Amino acid sequence: MSDKSTIKLNGREYDFAPGETVLDVAARHDIYIPTLCHDPRLDAVGACRTCLVEIDGWRRLAPACATQLEPGMEIASENERIDRHRQTLLSLYMTDHPTDPAAAEPGAPNELHAMASHYEAPMDWGYMESLRDARPDDRNPYVLFEPDLCILCARCTRYCDEIEGVNAITLAGRASETTISTVDKLSLMDTSCELCGGCIDVCPTGAMGKKMPLVRGDKPERELDKVRTTCNFCGVGCQLDLNVDRDARDGQGRIVKVTSPPVGTTTNDGNLCVKGRFAYDFVHHEDRITTPLIRGEDGELHPASWDEALQAAASGLLAVKDKHGKDSLGFVSSSRCTMEENFLVQKMSRAVFGTNNVHQCAAT
Amino acid sequence: MSEDRRHEIQELLEKAGGLVPGAARQVAQQTGIPEADVYGVGSFYHLLARPDAKIRVCTGLSCRMAGADDVLRAAELNDLPVEGCTCLAGCDVAPAVLRDRRVLPSVTVEDVHEAKGEWENLRSAANADDEVWFGAVGPERDDPDTLVLNLMGDPDWSGTAFRRAVEIGADAVVEAIETAGLQGRGGAGFPAHIKWNGTRNQAETTRYVVLNADEGEPGTFKDREVMLRRPDRVLEGLAIAAHAIGATEVYLYLRGEFEVPWTVIEDGIERFAAAGVFGDIKFHLHAGHGAYICGEETALLEALEGKRGMPRLKPPFPVEKGLWGKPTLIHNVETIACVPAIVDRGGDWFKALGRDEAGTKLYCISGDVGRPGTYELPLGVTLDELVEAAGGYVGELKAFSPGGASSGFLPASMREVPLAFRSLGGVGSMLGSAGVVVLNSDADLRDAVMTQLRFFEAESCGQCAPCRIGTRYLAHALSKNIANDTTSGAALQHVADAAWQMNEGSICGLGQAAPLPLTLALEHFPEEFEA
Repeated sequence: MSDKSTIKLNGREYDFAPGETVLDVAARHDIYIPTLCHDPRLDAVGACRTCLVEIDGWRRLAPACATQLEPGMEIASENERIDRHRQTLLSLYMTDHPTDPAAAEPGAPNELHAMASHYEAPMDWGYMESLRDARPDDRNPYVLFEPDLCILCARCTRYCDEIEGVNAITLAGRASETTISTVDKLSLMDTSCELCGGCIDVCPTGAMGKKMPLVRGDKPERELDKVRTTCNFCGVGCQLDLNVDRDARDGQGRIVKVTSPPVGTTTNDGNLCVKGRFAYDFVHHEDRITTPLIRGEDGELHPASWDEALQAAASGLLAVKDKHGKDSLGFVSSSRCTMEENFLVQKMSRAVFGTNNVHQCAAT
Repeated sequence: MSEDRRHEIQELLEKAGGLVPGAARQVAQQTGIPEADVYGVGSFYHLLARPDAKIRVCTGLSCRMAGADDVLRAAELNDLPVEGCTCLAGCDVAPAVLRDRRVLPSVTVEDVHEAKGEWENLRSAANADDEVWFGAVGPERDDPDTLVLNLMGDPDWSGTAFRRAVEIGADAVVEAIETAGLQGRGGAGFPAHIKWNGTRNQAETTRYVVLNADEGEPGTFKDREVMLRRPDRVLEGLAIAAHAIGATEVYLYLRGEFEVPWTVIEDGIERFAAAGVFGDIKFHLHAGHGAYICGEETALLEALEGKRGMPRLKPPFPVEKGLWGKPTLIHNVETIACVPAIVDRGGDWFKALGRDEAGTKLYCISGDVGRPGTYELPLGVTLDELVEAAGGYVGELKAFSPGGASSGFLPASMREVPLAFRSLGGVGSMLGSAGVVVLNSDADLRDAVMTQLRFFEAESCGQCAPCRIGTRYLAHALSKNIANDTTSGAALQHVADAAWQMNEGSICGLGQAAPLPLTLALEHFPEEFEA
């Protein structure tokens, strides 16, 4: 037996490490195998069946996502049988899914549609109305479940369970009536849900959608510009993508929604909390202070430039120090500051003003 | 969070009155399992999910042939809390009706009227005392020399076969099973000794034996009859298996509708325990809660663990990673009940009893025959021989389903094909669980196919798309064919592709076999589907 673990994929030899799956090795070498229920953060379940491959000596096709490699395996991810499998599977999926692109993609890109057209799956097998229950009375303000679009890949329920540890949603019912539900079909507000919106992020078809842009009729996601930024609600520094409609508000632009950067590309690995994902509408609020304000001799606040404002603050602080001594000053930074900003605050406190009176409100 | 009490979910929901509002939350508090999980589990099993239906009328093929539609309609008109259900393992006593958890045999429209609108009062005139009832069996003799199950024989509580198994040792027991050529009788026909060896050769020493008594394949009721008549054989077989693979815990999973067999098995366990026959081997009884798919062995394991009964990906197989991840030997009732006789009389004796393949076989027969029931005959008899034993044909044979809904329909011209695993597999069908249904020339074959398709549509677990969508798609296509609706092209135009996909793409045997009723009928009876 050779000391190296190798397999053959589509006739070429590749190394693999113990525990790796067919999909792991294929991904490393940019060999595309379609998936819908797969998410690298979750345990593989092999339920969507799009990733089936052929393994020499196996009677049945095997899911690439869940099949661990063994030395000497010979695998095909492209051949006539697999082509027919992908086409017929996707045709079948489309009998249970809106075919009209507008209906199929009210918000996030629909991976099933993209896959069906990529593989040129016939779409003329007929259409059957969904039997999956919705929760129309769910009064939560953020997450909208559109059962027509659901393909029951269970990414949302597994994410809620395995990543968030929240278990607010579950596969419920059986057969064609299987749907995504909460306990007793309650509103998410009455469950353990923390409204992190991870279910929306992991959904491949947009069945889990963001209520606000959907009910407001904003543009679908693919027509928006993505702007990567750092969430400023706390110091963790999660990366998120603002999805901006540049034409909105007479060309001033508007943030339509927040989405997660792709899994594996940022330190937060696509995970966000309720604030990062949903609390962005203040950005365009009319009461929001958008320039510095300095209180004048008249007792009123007057708009000022940043230079003027910083100058006013600096001279005020220095005046206190001169009059009462350096330890008469204390600095408290906000938990919304990043680690780097907190570092700068303590630097300023100690090096510029000479006091150790510095704290951060999230510290105990 | 601790998962220790997960396996209690279904029972606790049952005690709470089913999945009524608040029940899932209550069980979540009792078990420490998240409430959405509890709800998801409860909603999977129809006896829990729809607790208001106190009466369930079987709408399986044999029951419909015997007038189940009329009984269901009568129950609805009498304002009974009723719904149709898929299969009650009572095709020999059609139409079978479930009252709470008890199957009533041969219920008539008159029986329904007699209940006077009170579901608790529903009785079958065929079982007036409402006590334990038995189905017909054959041959009608106690004959331990040529019958392995010997259903007419008296139960034997002596434990002789178990003692012999201990005496000759595990190696010799498994060798006898191998010599016997015993194949799994739940449907797959897989050689039993491979599973026994597969389990006992694992490095992991905590191992389990599981009994699959979730009989629910339409056309099949033999396991019910074995448990009712020979609980001794079932329990002794399990004990021998446990001893052979080095297990002490045995789990018995009986479908929830088997209230009567449950009591018989429970009595048997107590009887053996009182005599101390099986040493430290412990039996644990678990009830199903309404889900055909839990007859699939890995779905059954999921159900035992307190989860939705969705089949697992294989490999790994249960012999390696089964119940709670431990090596598990899981067998159908009939298979395990063959074991004591094999140990007693030897593998060669068993093997020689078969014709095409080894041993005798319990054939269930229902539909248009004189005496529906369970018949123990050499494995590999023909349909004509079986029907002769079962009182002959009623009317002229048109078609037959050789092994449950999953086996599809074969034409009268194939009546000579031996009813055995290999030969039926060779003609694109299967012996399956040997639930034979006979249709005579009065039968509407298209309607019969529709019944089977509706069954699979209702019983798909919903986990994988090929089965969940495919079973519905086929039923949808056939209903359009029946309605002569060609608005979106010929109704059956894409059936071959959909069936191919279901077979290739489905995770488990349900979806893989579900197209057979339609595809085999299209192959053998194309004229039935013409506009």
